[in-house]
Amino acid sequence: MSEFEWRLRGRCYRLGHDVPHAGGVVPNWVITGRHFDAADIIPHLFEETDPGFHERCKPGDIIVAGRNFGMGPKMNGYIAMQALGLGLVCESMPFLAYRAAIGCGLRVMTDCVAVTEFCESGDELEVDFRDGYFINHTRNITREYPPVPDTLREIIEVGGNAGWLKRWWAERQGATLR
Amino acid sequence: MAARAAERGAFNRRAAAQWGVRHFFDVGRGGHGHIFPMETGMLLPGMFYFDNDRHSTNAGAIGAFGFRMGAEISRVLATGTNWVMTPKSVRLTIKGRLKPGVHARDLGFHIAASLKRGALRLNFDYRVLEYAGDLDQFDLAARAALCSSPTEMRAYGVFFPPSEAILAHARRHARQPFTPVFPDADAHYEAEAELDVSALEPQVALPGGVQNAVNVSEVAGTRIDHAFIGSCGSGMYEDMIEAARYLKGRSLAPGVRLFIAPGSEQSMKQLAAEGIVNIFLEAGAVMLPPGCGPCNDAVIGPVHSGEVSISTAANNNAGRFGAKDAKLYLGSPATVAVSAIAGHIADPRSIEASDIRLSRREAA
Repeated sequence: MSEFEWRLRGRCYRLGHDVPHAGGVVPNWVITGRHFDAADIIPHLFEETDPGFHERCKPGDIIVAGRNFGMGPKMNGYIAMQALGLGLVCESMPFLAYRAAIGCGLRVMTDCVAVTEFCESGDELEVDFRDGYFINHTRNITREYPPVPDTLREIIEVGGNAGWLKRWWAERQGATLR
Repeated sequence: MAARAAERGAFNRRAAAQWGVRHFFDVGRGGHGHIFPMETGMLLPGMFYFDNDRHSTNAGAIGAFGFRMGAEISRVLATGTNWVMTPKSVRLTIKGRLKPGVHARDLGFHIAASLKRGALRLNFDYRVLEYAGDLDQFDLAARAALCSSPTEMRAYGVFFPPSEAILAHARRHARQPFTPVFPDADAHYEAEAELDVSALEPQVALPGGVQNAVNVSEVAGTRIDHAFIGSCGSGMYEDMIEAARYLKGRSLAPGVRLFIAPGSEQSMKQLAAEGIVNIFLEAGAVMLPPGCGPCNDAVIGPVHSGEVSISTAANNNAGRFGAKDAKLYLGSPATVAVSAIAGHIADPRSIEASDIRLSRREAA
């Protein structure tokens, strides 16, 4: 899995504190309608606060959020972020939101104290989710934050829970064949 | 909806057969997944298990722990395990005894409201709530009732140290050996609080959430159309008996429909054998199959736009039973039963209750 790109470089997309999953990340109907296909969700990512976000973002861009991001245990928004090649860095997330993001294979770091004070939307950022480096090239700021824990890395590397299970199954089939 | 449900049922039966699932409980075979395993001795004190749903917190009633996995339950089904981050624990010490007519569910609503007001300085988010203090007054059903509202306040687990009565129930029904667990004397809690419950009045949660609880007197007289008794929080045998004590020999108010869903097939059989089902039917109530009732996506017994409901559902968030503009109140099984008779929200102490003896031996 050495080819997995743990370091992202792209533009900052900064959000405030207490952005809920329902309404703040994706419209509530995406959640209640149980939409889990990235293609279905992507057009609606941040739709209620920033229509057209999905057309402006590029792979490698990094969402930087404040405290208590993504309230709720739902996966829908992280499915879209992962498929778009985005990363997520926030000051804090409820544990279940973090768990959902990991399960979707999103490159995510939480507990990044005061990170929203070190960037503005549009800044050029570089974040290494494996070693915890946060570099703002526009403002020449470097910070070190808690990286993705070792035990969770393999889930992200294979694209989340679904990918992890596929690999587990493939390995198991392989073992059976031998 | 019906077609999708049929398709899902067919898939589940196929999968269970194909994968050799030994404990597969089809419709009519088990009941509510957060209730019948405790009643039938599958879930025992000291057990840890993974569950898909957040109301697995009910396991704390018997002294076990059900860890909610959500969609990640698929990994557990495949591999038998998953990664977890140990939640912190908070402890709430109960002081005093509930007055007659006041139910454990009322206390659950009151705890939620106290958290919201800041009167209880505890954070439940991804925490395990451990109860302590005067707990012997709470039987298995009351303990399950006390697991419900804290879950709505985002508790990840709830735990009761099992009493002698709970252990006796477990020993009688156990399908395998078990070892109960208790808090260590030097256990660490993130925070602790005490709550005197001796003056508590019956509570009603106003529409919007369990944390909106007020004394029943504040909303008594509110006209209702719809009522429901059941759910993971109030679906046990004892809850049904509590409702029957008020409904015996009485009729529902004109224009009120009452749905009753016992939590397990075992309870339903017992209630039928004891004539309790007949008390409900004579009153004009509708018996639903054991399970969630309207509380799960309003598959059965929904409300219409503008209607008013009082129920023992897990929560009363807008749209829980269908129409988003319906007004959903919550109360204890006694308060819901009495309100359904009166045609408006009413204090259960306003009418006389019949003396129906609990036949289940473990009842407190």
